[in-house]
Amino acid sequence: MINVFGKEQMLSDTNHLLSDDQIADFVINGYHIVAPQFQSDFHERVYQELNDLPTNPGDEINKAVPKIDDVYEHPAVHGALTSLLGSDYKRAAHRHCHKNHPGTRSQTWHQDSLNIPTLADGHGRVSDHVQSVLAMYYPQAVTEKMGPTALIPGSHLFTASTDRNASNGNFRDQVVAVVPAGSVLILHYDIWHAGTANTSDQVRYMVKYLFERANESAEPSWNHDPAKDRHIFERLEQDEAAAMQRSLVSKRNYRRTTMWNNIAGKAALKYEYRDKWSGDWPKPNL
Amino acid sequence: MSQKQRLLYLSSQSTDPKSPAISQALHEPLKGTIVEIDPTKKGIDYESVHDAICDGWRVVHFPDQRGSLEGSEVEIYGYQFILEKMEEYVD
Repeated sequence: MINVFGKEQMLSDTNHLLSDDQIADFVINGYHIVAPQFQSDFHERVYQELNDLPTNPGDEINKAVPKIDDVYEHPAVHGALTSLLGSDYKRAAHRHCHKNHPGTRSQTWHQDSLNIPTLADGHGRVSDHVQSVLAMYYPQAVTEKMGPTALIPGSHLFTASTDRNASNGNFRDQVVAVVPAGSVLILHYDIWHAGTANTSDQVRYMVKYLFERANESAEPSWNHDPAKDRHIFERLEQDEAAAMQRSLVSKRNYRRTTMWNNIAGKAALKYEYRDKWSGDWPKPNL
Repeated sequence: MSQKQRLLYLSSQSTDPKSPAISQALHEPLKGTIVEIDPTKKGIDYESVHDAICDGWRVVHFPDQRGSLEGSEVEIYGYQFILEKMEEYVD
């Protein structure tokens, strides 16, 4: 048993912990989507309760609509958060319900502010670690016209200049969170993202919680298999996220491996020289 | 009718106009229009700056080749070219 948000819970079933490849996906892309299972009308009722709120409760959104805590305490969400932040992760005091009305315009690309007094440790950008995550819950299905959250895969590894990125519109490799009702999108805190325009006739809600690492990892908090180390190391070196200039690729790959090692504790990947070039000669261009 | 300037911001993987474009923003010369991320759009309009030039766009700003961002703590994706196309608009 462990204590999660004041409630005694069973430790996550290992099936809810992420695999090595899912952790690598998060390190490479900066996001992970969970689909916690609830009764068929659960999310509809949450949507209705949000719709009935006369004012924005801010951080108290969980008190105004207590069902939302059930989403974040669901074993599937808890398992993913445990995998990324350690079993003793903390929920930050800051929460927010984004109400995106029809006609709402797109945000510009940004990283979320660090000026949040309720973040426990007040850390800065951490491009080579997973210290905090954003967990975005969508109580309704989100179509591409309902202002889905857009993000740039892999951008959590870099610090952005919001002003200088303001002239960017669509990225070739951007991802938009067109998701079924009840999805929880877990993002590295530093990922470049934006709410997009709602051109539908429906209000789109997104409830955001922040979760933080409490302690450095002594060992992987996910379903780790050391036999996969070589495979993971190769993925961190080779997998593409979003296209970027070549001069950033080395920095990107180094930070990926450092991020993995920072959350893996004693199971950190070993840097070893290996010949990547031996094998077949290149084929002639015919 | 009057000629107005359309602006296309294209960021490329390198300073080479034929390198792959990674982002775009089109600024139309009409009051009230804004540039937004379009979640309904797949990909971007041009494969490269050169591809846009072949479609009649003219480069008015080249990315600065003097300073490298390597080693910088703050990053910007791509090397930004700004292109224009003059077209007739009804006032």
